[in-house]
Amino acid sequence: MSHIVTCENLVVTYRASNGPVRALDGVDLTISEGETLAIVGESGSGKSTLGMAMGRLLPAEAEREDGRMDVAGQPVFDIAANDLRELRRDLLGFVFQNPMVALDPTMRIGRQMQRAMGRRAGSEEIHALLERAELDDPARVAKSFPHQLSGGMAQRVVIAMASARTPRLLIADEPTASLDASIRDKVMGTLCRLRAESGASLVILSHDVHMIARHADRVAVMYGGRIVEQGPTGRVLDAPVHPYTRALLKAAAGHEKPGDWLTPIPGTPPLLSARCAACSFEPRCTVSEENCHTTRPEPREVEGREVLCLLAGTQTEPKEAAR
Amino acid sequence: MRILFYFLPKLAVAAITMLGVSALVFLSLRMIPGGYADVLLGPFVTPEAREAIAVRYGLDQPLLIQYLNWLGALFQGDLGVSMVTRAPVLDEFLRRAPVTLELALLALIVALAGGLPLGILAGIAPPDHRGGLLARLVGALGASVPDFVLGSLLIFVFSVWSLWLRVGGYVGPIEDPVGNLRVMLLPALTLSLFGIALVLRTTRDAVLRVMTEGHITTALARGERPIDIVRLHVLRNAAIPVVTVVTTYFGFLLGGAVVVEVLFSIPGIGFFIFSGLENRDYAIVQAGVLIAAAVFITINMLADLAYALIDPRVGSGRH
Repeated sequence: MSHIVTCENLVVTYRASNGPVRALDGVDLTISEGETLAIVGESGSGKSTLGMAMGRLLPAEAEREDGRMDVAGQPVFDIAANDLRELRRDLLGFVFQNPMVALDPTMRIGRQMQRAMGRRAGSEEIHALLERAELDDPARVAKSFPHQLSGGMAQRVVIAMASARTPRLLIADEPTASLDASIRDKVMGTLCRLRAESGASLVILSHDVHMIARHADRVAVMYGGRIVEQGPTGRVLDAPVHPYTRALLKAAAGHEKPGDWLTPIPGTPPLLSARCAACSFEPRCTVSEENCHTTRPEPREVEGREVLCLLAGTQTEPKEAAR
Repeated sequence: MRILFYFLPKLAVAAITMLGVSALVFLSLRMIPGGYADVLLGPFVTPEAREAIAVRYGLDQPLLIQYLNWLGALFQGDLGVSMVTRAPVLDEFLRRAPVTLELALLALIVALAGGLPLGILAGIAPPDHRGGLLARLVGALGASVPDFVLGSLLIFVFSVWSLWLRVGGYVGPIEDPVGNLRVMLLPALTLSLFGIALVLRTTRDAVLRVMTEGHITTALARGERPIDIVRLHVLRNAAIPVVTVVTTYFGFLLGGAVVVEVLFSIPGIGFFIFSGLENRDYAIVQAGVLIAAAVFITINMLADLAYALIDPRVGSGRH
């Protein structure tokens, strides 16, 4: 199976007034054609930076310091502006968190759809695409301005725009987080259906473990700008190996049985200013040992997934942390 | 319908504002020491002569009666008569209005032609871009150099070396279009420097703000060319604050740029009001301020209308 995304040791820093912030601390990741990958992690874990880096859509103060990101065989950080634009237009589709912000408030939906589909798209094609995104009255939607639509309808428009040119890679950054809980599943269903129809790969950036369990083939857990655990969804969510993944699942609502507790993770994710020389989760880890503080973990194969933990798979690590 | 409901309350507010302006200008003029009698008869005037003048112009009546008389005449379209020239004030204003209008339009064109491109450039260029630096320099200069300084400087330079342009000696645009332009360009430039800076800074700030909005990222993500992003998404979303300052600036220009018109001896409304004030020619000053206020309010209402046309959310109750 060929790879649509190959990311090697990617390091991205943001210039800030009080010094650089290292958002990605060496990310290695491959995404296969047609697969659905979920990237999970708290805010500040670097997952949005990684997602945006796939289209080099990072803000001006972000800088690629090291490594590379190849999308469809093209190194996005090293190609000419024109090629980058064609890559974005023809091969990538982005779905953003808040559709009300992602749509131009002063332009009618039909016109924005046309910008996404190409000059030759007539109103029939536009209506057909809106209909494929399960919008019931495409003619009315096309005539509307974004503020005249509900959040769910607007997100369907954004999804339709993202899949307008049958992209090979869809990137959805918290696609349902801003929506009403009652319609999240339906909108997510639309996104996955459009993906399946085109056979594109899909990257979902989210912290909604529930939703990921249902839709993703593979999960990558991010912490401190690195992927700390990645593998098949079932394996990672049912039997997490990395202490952070375990803590994340304990903190997430939705999987608890009656009488269970939700345990928030104490502390906050680190703000790195340089390459982390140790395990970045060590300060918050309940099972850490002496060398976690001094050794930077490298990816290892443990129980059918890749893990960044010195203790994973060893006997010292308790399988179930105490409540 | 949306626009009508959005607009009607503004019309009512405008009427109240005009009434307030009329009372204010009427009162403040009468609080200036001295009157027409002092101007006409000089410092050694007898009480009897002063009395005669007051009676002739109705200045012996109580202030409230004078005010109501004036308002009553206003509603019949009568702006009064100049005490100095004995001509109806309205005719005098209509004669001078085209001069001020021309000056205002010229200054506005220069301000837009200079301020808009520089402002957009400064908004989209990287911080160390040369155009951005120029924009910042012009913006700082225009905001800090007063018009009488720039005007005096231009008068000095162009009086010594004519360089085709002329200082003073107004000629109408119909008799001599080229000569008119030679006279009007310097005062228009003087007036426009502030306008360039105003338009530039407002445009730059608005463009900078829009550039960080999410829909710009969306446009980038679908592979739009930078020129199309600016043309289709940035300009319209940045337009509202620019329209606001441009209309305010134009209203200010139309009200008669007193300093610049006096400086360059341009016989427009500003010069006229200025001389009316010197002569304590109440009718001229009252009418002048009132007309300026009416123009200003009208222009601002047009701006409100423009907002509703630019941004579909305005007046819809949802933002």
